[in-house]
Amino acid sequence: MKLFILLILLSVSAGLHAQSDSMKTSVIKGTVKNSKGIPVEGANVVIEGTIDGSTTDDKGYYEFETSKSGKRVIIFTAVDFGEKKINTVIDPGSTLILDVTLSNTEFKTDEITVTASSFTSGENSKVTLSPLEITRIPGADADLYRAITTFPGSNQVDEGSRIAVRGGDPSEVLTFLDGASLYNPFLFSDNYNTSSYSTVNPWGMKGINFSSGGFSAKYGNVLSAVLDLQSYDMPQGKGLFAIIGLANAGLSGVYRTNDGKFGATFSAGQFFVKPFLEINKDNTDFSPVPTASNIGGTLVFRTSRTGLLKYYLNYSYDNMGIRSESPTYSGYYFGRTKNFFTNLKYSFAPTDISLLSTSVSLSTYNRTNKYGVLDEVSNSLYGKVRTDFGTPVAEKIDLSAGLEYEYNDAKENGRMPAYFYNLREEAPYFTLDYLQKTGRAGAYAELKYRLSDDFLVQGGLRSDYYTLTKDAVVDPRLSLVFRVTNHSFLKAATGIYHQFPSLIYFLQGNTTNLKPEQAVHYILGYEYNRDNDFILRIESFYKDYSRLVSNSYNYYNYTSEGSGFSKGIDAFIKVRLKPKFNGWISYSYVDSKRTPYDGADKISADFDITHTLSVVSEYNVTDYLTVGATYKVSTGKPYTPVTGSIYDPSQNAYIPLYAERNSGRFPAYTRIDMNAQYIFSLFGKFAVAFLALNNILNTGNLYEYSYNFDYTQKKTINSSNFRTIYFGMGLQL
Amino acid sequence: MKNKFKIFLAAVLILTVSAGIIKADDFTDAMLKAKKNLQTAMNSYDEKALLKSRGEFERILQLKKQEWIVNYYIALIDYSLASSAMSDPSKKDVVKKYTESGFANLDKSILVRDDFADSYVLRYALQFNRWVYEQDKMNDIIAASEEAKTKAEKLEPENPRLYLMDGISTYYTPEMFGGGVKKAVPLLEKSLDLFGKRTEKEAYYPDWGKDMTYGFLCLGYLKRDDEGDKKLAADLYSKASTEFPNSTFLSGYVKKEMDKLK
Repeated sequence: MKLFILLILLSVSAGLHAQSDSMKTSVIKGTVKNSKGIPVEGANVVIEGTIDGSTTDDKGYYEFETSKSGKRVIIFTAVDFGEKKINTVIDPGSTLILDVTLSNTEFKTDEITVTASSFTSGENSKVTLSPLEITRIPGADADLYRAITTFPGSNQVDEGSRIAVRGGDPSEVLTFLDGASLYNPFLFSDNYNTSSYSTVNPWGMKGINFSSGGFSAKYGNVLSAVLDLQSYDMPQGKGLFAIIGLANAGLSGVYRTNDGKFGATFSAGQFFVKPFLEINKDNTDFSPVPTASNIGGTLVFRTSRTGLLKYYLNYSYDNMGIRSESPTYSGYYFGRTKNFFTNLKYSFAPTDISLLSTSVSLSTYNRTNKYGVLDEVSNSLYGKVRTDFGTPVAEKIDLSAGLEYEYNDAKENGRMPAYFYNLREEAPYFTLDYLQKTGRAGAYAELKYRLSDDFLVQGGLRSDYYTLTKDAVVDPRLSLVFRVTNHSFLKAATGIYHQFPSLIYFLQGNTTNLKPEQAVHYILGYEYNRDNDFILRIESFYKDYSRLVSNSYNYYNYTSEGSGFSKGIDAFIKVRLKPKFNGWISYSYVDSKRTPYDGADKISADFDITHTLSVVSEYNVTDYLTVGATYKVSTGKPYTPVTGSIYDPSQNAYIPLYAERNSGRFPAYTRIDMNAQYIFSLFGKFAVAFLALNNILNTGNLYEYSYNFDYTQKKTINSSNFRTIYFGMGLQL
Repeated sequence: MKNKFKIFLAAVLILTVSAGIIKADDFTDAMLKAKKNLQTAMNSYDEKALLKSRGEFERILQLKKQEWIVNYYIALIDYSLASSAMSDPSKKDVVKKYTESGFANLDKSILVRDDFADSYVLRYALQFNRWVYEQDKMNDIIAASEEAKTKAEKLEPENPRLYLMDGISTYYTPEMFGGGVKKAVPLLEKSLDLFGKRTEKEAYYPDWGKDMTYGFLCLGYLKRDDEGDKKLAADLYSKASTEFPNSTFLSGYVKKEMDKLK
């Protein structure tokens, strides 16, 4: 018993001793700064497991007293910065000085990013364009590809949505959606004298980034430019939006369950251009009149705190006929396409700072062309599996890496004219019944290294293996950005880019000897950006092409002997005068040359459009009314003139004799578009009315030259994009 | 001996339980103190005081108790910091920073307790701030605001802060879009009525907003300008000033706006 009392006494005295120790207060003080040495105001400092601590003042200084002692952990936190823990020993009655540097957890809006050749208009420097801007750009017809052509370096193909970038071919542009490659996202693509429209709904995208060169190793099998789209993850609520216009109607909606674990979106649209043609007195001879349908949507499941399963689907259909005259046939060119795309993506965070995503996508494209003897059906299928992983590997280094496998097959059936100059219905033809397949396995790894707050380097390496030709390529890529002053940056990028030739060349040429086409990009640019209110960007580029698909003199004998280059300067000035005015001017100079056939000298490439100028302005007349105008002018595109003809009695047709390829030029292209939008309330719901006046000067821009039967008379065929008026409205339901 | 051992055990138990009570009191005391400091900071609209108060709540998180209400308060301070930056166009980044932080802290709170109506009222309020930096996500903002408001209504239809936020939103929404001062005034009156009847379940639960209701109602009366509205505004302002003598919102913003309207 005595022993028991003794033990109690001992423990009580130990407690008292400890208490007297802890009664001696210590002082902890110091400063909290960011990695630039700037004081962090409002940072919280606390001893773990206690409420003893303080908040930093505007000099980053903190000081507090504590009765805690011994081995302790001090935690430093601040909004936008990562948590920092420091293990220390607090001696009773002492003063402890802890000066701490916090690092940003995420990029702030003024963060420098490797975006050489990405022309920003949106608020966020990571986003090239916002959906609102796309709908406001006059002449863009709310189409994101057309909107992109108001930025330097890209040109519309036939005034439609397909784009050619920095003197390259339109096929050198890749659309990337949630990790999947999206091929042919267009309606009326490649139809005779008909502008194409995009099937991508910009309002379904949370991120729209366009890069016209020097892009990351993440993107494979593309030579010139990337449009990277990220669709919304979980919708934010529930709602329906309807739109009706002179040529189309659409309905879109979003839904999310109350627990936020399931969400869905959909959009459906129908083109019916008859009223549009009648009101605009368009005399173009269509049969059938162009129609198109588009339906798509997403299903999203939140599988865990960070896990997200997203299913995306889109289907489109278009059908049209347009009268066309050629030396041997006069009739309707008929075109129809069916386009299906689906993607299943699962992403989750294996740790608090890393992200892993895997996607499986499938797309099919079916196209029918008929004109005289030509009656061709082509089908292509793409399937892709892709995994991407990203994580910081050190305080200033982020790693991203990924793997992908893509399958592609192409089929061609029907009949092709045996003689390109004889298209009569009864003309000789050869039958097509071909199938070709290929696969591509790719892998990349990339490091983003923030050498300092003002200097960012991104270096990557990717490799692709093409199963059809058993070719492996290795593409190193490097980008860097240096912040010269608070508002100005120097940007540079270089890299090797490869793209596999279209399977059509393998089918038509009956060959497996074609190599992946190659381009080496060199980019150097300067940007001054004052809070997105004033932006000046100047960028020079040089693209060195090799192993391009080229013809020998035999029309269908393809080789990989082609080469070329494209060089030029892009300039961009944007001014925003809040809250009324927003506008930009973009100018591009391009010199693009390629070998027309094996062994020939380099001549102008098909999209060697020397000068392109776009002026875009938007003015908010009131808070509800916005008006805008766009002026575009560019050098006419190259074409190959006909210099004479020879009569072929066997075909009873003349064979055209051509001058040197692309030795002629169309007249300059000009166009002025205007639009207006008015926001109002209808039945207590949000509504917007819009009006577009396209090509208000009714400029007859040349589409092509047509010839009479013996090529002695040349006729100009103007673009079908005459002056038009379009109006409609959208209503929140 | 047996009895002595029982006494010893009882003493140990009492000590353990009282230690627990002390811990609980630590939390309550800390919360009440932090809430008082927050009220002072919100009254003064002082960014530095708000940051200090934010740190105080963050430190309470270390006690690992009732984190949901602590996170709610941190989100509320984020909302206040974002709102105070809204009048300055050059501080768009600040609005974004604190609004996004507010959403993140509110999510943490709702994850632990998803039936607290005030959390959804705050989420509703935070959505307004997105207009400053995400104008292109108009449909999202409208849908998310409606969702948060519906959820709050379902959980607590008589929440005065819900009517306050609805009233402010209606006050600033143009008439052509279903808003306007005439529709806002009844909502603010309802809010004031509900504030009068309300007693919080815990002393440290949120009770902010009454001064704002007074202020907006004063402005609402003056702007509506029906017969007798001017007197209503003057009487109400006098009452509000007596009840909230330290409110900078009332003595600064509201007074100035009232003078302009007079």
